[in-house]
Amino acid sequence: MSGIERYAAPRTLEEAAELLSAGGATVFAGGTDVMPQANAGRLRFQKTLLNIGRIAELRGIGESNGVVRIGALTTITELLESPLVRGRFRALWQSCDHFASDQIRNAATLGGNLCNASPAGDTLVPLLVLDAQVVLAGKPNGTLATRRLPLAGFLTGPGRTLRAAHELLTAVEIALPPAGFDSEYFKFGTRPALDIAAISIGLGAVREGRVLRDVRVAFGAVAPTPVRAPRVEAALEGRIADDAAIEAALEAAADEIHPISDIRASDWYRREMVRNMLQRMLCDVREG
Amino acid sequence: MGEAQKTVARETLIGKRIPKMDAPEKASGRTRYLHDIDLPGQLHAKILRSTQVHALIKSIDTGAAKRLPGVHAVITAADVPWQRPIGVAKDHLPLKTGRVRSLRDEVAAVAADSVEIAAAALALIRVEYEPLPPLTDPVEALQPGAPLIHPEPHGGDGGPQLKPGGPVAYTGKPDNVAMTFEYAQGDVAQGERESDAVVEDVFRLHYVTHCCMGVSGVIAEFDASGNLLLHSNTQVPFLHKREFAEMLGIDPGRVRIIQPPIGGGFGSKLDIYPFEPIAIFLARATGRPVKLVYTREEEFEASPTRQPVLLKLRSGCTRDGALTFRAVETLHDNGAYTSWGATTPFVMMQTVSSLYRVPHCKYRTRAVYTNNPYAGSFRGYGNLQATFAVEAHMDRLADAIGMDPLEFRLKNAQQPGEVTPQGMHFGTCGFKECLSTAAARSAYQRKRLEHASRQGDASPLKRGVGIASMLHVGGGAKIYPSDGCGTILKIDDFAHVTLITGASEIGQGSETVLAQLVCEELGLPLSSVTVVNNDTDITPWDVGVHASRTTFIAGNSAIGAAKKAKDKILAAAAAKSGRASGDLQLSGGFVVTPEGEKLFELGKFLRSLHFSDKADLVMTTFYYEPPSHHQDREFKGDVSAAYAWASQVAEVEVDTRTGIVKLLSITAAHDVGRVLNRLGIEGQIEGGVVMGQGYALTENLIVEGGAVKNPSFRDYKLVTAPEIPEMDISFIETMDGEGPQGAKGVGEAPAICVAAAVANAIHNATGVRITSLPFTPERVYRALRGKLEAPVWNVPA
Ligand SMILES: Cc1cc2nc3c(=O)[nH]c(=O)nc-3n(C[C@H](O)[C@H](O)[C@H](O)COP(=O)(O)OP(=O)(O)OC[C@H]3O[C@@H](n4cnc5c(N)ncnc54)[C@H](O)[C@@H]3O)c2cc1C
Repeated sequence: MSGIERYAAPRTLEEAAELLSAGGATVFAGGTDVMPQANAGRLRFQKTLLNIGRIAELRGIGESNGVVRIGALTTITELLESPLVRGRFRALWQSCDHFASDQIRNAATLGGNLCNASPAGDTLVPLLVLDAQVVLAGKPNGTLATRRLPLAGFLTGPGRTLRAAHELLTAVEIALPPAGFDSEYFKFGTRPALDIAAISIGLGAVREGRVLRDVRVAFGAVAPTPVRAPRVEAALEGRIADDAAIEAALEAAADEIHPISDIRASDWYRREMVRNMLQRMLCDVREG
Repeated sequence: MGEAQKTVARETLIGKRIPKMDAPEKASGRTRYLHDIDLPGQLHAKILRSTQVHALIKSIDTGAAKRLPGVHAVITAADVPWQRPIGVAKDHLPLKTGRVRSLRDEVAAVAADSVEIAAAALALIRVEYEPLPPLTDPVEALQPGAPLIHPEPHGGDGGPQLKPGGPVAYTGKPDNVAMTFEYAQGDVAQGERESDAVVEDVFRLHYVTHCCMGVSGVIAEFDASGNLLLHSNTQVPFLHKREFAEMLGIDPGRVRIIQPPIGGGFGSKLDIYPFEPIAIFLARATGRPVKLVYTREEEFEASPTRQPVLLKLRSGCTRDGALTFRAVETLHDNGAYTSWGATTPFVMMQTVSSLYRVPHCKYRTRAVYTNNPYAGSFRGYGNLQATFAVEAHMDRLADAIGMDPLEFRLKNAQQPGEVTPQGMHFGTCGFKECLSTAAARSAYQRKRLEHASRQGDASPLKRGVGIASMLHVGGGAKIYPSDGCGTILKIDDFAHVTLITGASEIGQGSETVLAQLVCEELGLPLSSVTVVNNDTDITPWDVGVHASRTTFIAGNSAIGAAKKAKDKILAAAAAKSGRASGDLQLSGGFVVTPEGEKLFELGKFLRSLHFSDKADLVMTTFYYEPPSHHQDREFKGDVSAAYAWASQVAEVEVDTRTGIVKLLSITAAHDVGRVLNRLGIEGQIEGGVVMGQGYALTENLIVEGGAVKNPSFRDYKLVTAPEIPEMDISFIETMDGEGPQGAKGVGEAPAICVAAAVANAIHNATGVRITSLPFTPERVYRALRGKLEAPVWNVPA
């Protein structure tokens, strides 16, 4: 049977951290990864099922001092409905718009998406483009301690992160990007709805006249984690998106991705799609 | 009888848009499916399946599972030495002994107080296997020295442990060939000599599965006298009744099957599967009702699939567009056991020999055993695969001789009155009307030329149109000794009709159409009919829901019973009124004269018959057997009392940067004989088109090394709402003389030629011909870049 001996639904971060320090707990947020994984036998429940859904501190989207904090329990639907997200983090908003179905979006949380650390996780790519930080909290020696990590460092492999077993992810922090910064997320699935990305691309930059500045590019589902692509960024930084720059970016992309073959796509097809779709996005940028 | 209805004039119900009778119950969530039924004292069962693709079973230890509290029985083959192999080839033991041949194989089963306890007990069963070399490529199955899947049984290795003189006639097989089918007409060599153009291709058709919303399940129960009662989702209750009885060694009269409303069948519930006898064994072992319902994952992993087929087709025609010959060879992957689905060549060869007029024809199928999933029967029954190949060649031959593909098809299309070399008699045949209607309504000829001329344009988005057609049985199919259906009809004292039919309802709308046909005869509104169709102790015999037969066969049977009731009522009314019975009619709930004069209110009149000196009730029976014939040993014969035709034009948009094919529209023209319930038939065609679309574009059960890799709706991609194309549906009403009110069967037809039409449309859009399915973005993209390996025929002779 499930192996769960205890169910806990703490109302504060303190309590939750306490329970986690005791060890042997499975963190449960929206459950949209936990349940299918448990049913498929890929996740074994620990003795304690820790429902973090009632911890008010983990909710909410707010801005202070130029930093936007998004609580880990924020659902995909809440992100979609946030004017701040829609106005300032267009790529993140788009990733939510292409995320699963209404039912899943109502349950799925941002923290769950990050901790699940799927190479195809949809919010991860735009958050990389936005230079997001994750906030982790735990109570290793009796007092609540918090640390911040850049998202890029946090993700270490498929389903793997630097989160310690006694920690919760409490929030994501994003410094408001410079004025004029715009971002775009492209998800390539094989159907218009309810699909897991076969590849995804995040692109962000400030456009000064026709010149691109502060270029940030990330890819999903083409490496063990979603990745930033510094060489693609370098190929575009300070340049006009002309044919030569686009070609250089495409070549750099080919070097920077390491796709695998699985039931969704072959490595060859993923490479082709990164090339064709990045090209399409950059041509759109060129055409304004 | 309400006041309002007394004044209703005689008005036909045929062709009207009539909502399904069961729709309010289903839409409001009141319908009680098998899942919702719980019997007092019921236990829950689960099956332990093999973890090995191919292995010998060395030992099974059920001790710990038996000791788990809440477990009532744990059984293996050793507990049911009297079990018998099931299936059309009797090669499939419900509980495996000695050897497992696929990951679906049932090794043990548990009945417990709850599903959770049953699952926990499964985890405690220890099975020791000795792996055998797996055989997962059907081509390999025919190579000399390939591992044998069903070797002749001998000590410890093989099929059932048979004692000489025992009851089971299962002997194993010296090779991996489960079934072969060969058909020939004329002389193919001569046809080839007479040809000006010859084309040959190899096609590969993939695994898909039914995805019924209602998964497989059964509740088995014995009463105190040892009679078996099954609540079952089966499509063929009367045949199963007999098979279960044989298995148990009891009189079939002691087996009763009740079918709760069934959440879809599409052929998946046509065979007996091991889970059904296993539930029966557990019910016998525990003396309690035992319920066994699949999980969705189990449904993907352990219910049947459509037949995967490798098909080689060679066809020819003359310069002026007359087909000369067609030669087909196919290899079917049966999986580990043989289901009815292995007999799909019956249907495939009809399309090959008789969709178009072809003088010379040769057909051969070998269905082979592998350690792959067990393929079964599925809406269209082989016809999707055959039509895919045949219609690709109609386009290719037309191209080869420079003729318009529509003209080429019209030139070779069957027409009414034709008797084909395979022995089919096409009484009514609206094929040419289907072709011209679908083509005209979609502007096929103009668009084909326009789209082809734009193949070289700079735009990455290409459009194309493609046409394809189909022939399928539309008046039953005489495969079993009888293809009939019985009806019992009673009209009570208040003119309420109870229609008791052998025909099963699996969501196709048969209840409504049968009630409609009866009302048409008796001049009553639909609300005066109750349909009883789900209990073998009550309903008369029927062969089952398959072969698009129910409206045709059960419809004729219902009409027969209704006519008898009408005759009886009118004869009595004539006697009472002193008129000739031929002068009277039933209309709007009255016995009326030709002038419309109301002589008797029907309810009142029936009561007067009942409560008279010669007290009598109106109860009739009718059995309809279609005037069709079994095929002879050469597969020749007129197996159906009518044949259905259809043509469909698909328009697609291909994104050459991604390979994504968007199906923009389907223009369909179907010869349905006659439209009975317009709403029902539109729904049937729309649903069938979407099923065909899934087969063409998105659905793919990925099987690698004998394992299903995508047992979930996340990864097994059914068509979603935004992908459904615009549909323009025309009905060609040929008024079949044998059909009920002129109708023919249409259940399978709409799914059959979609993939073929889409293939031709992709070719029109891009100039690239793809001979393997499904047209997923990656496959299409590869083909566009010349990087798709075309299927090859490397099958040993
Ligand atoms: C039908 C379906 C469609 C889907 N489609 C998409 C899609 O389009 N795109 C996509 O990216 N994903 C998709 N998913 C995956 C899933 O919905 C997302 O990953 C979701 O964001 C997970 O959030 P959750 O709150 O449900 O996480 P849960 O399932 O509750 O948790 C996920 C994991 O993270 C851990 N965890 C959760 N929250 C915390 C926390 N605050 N601190 C520490 N650990 C935590 C859990 O222990 C678990 O290991 C889909 C899932 C389903 C079932």
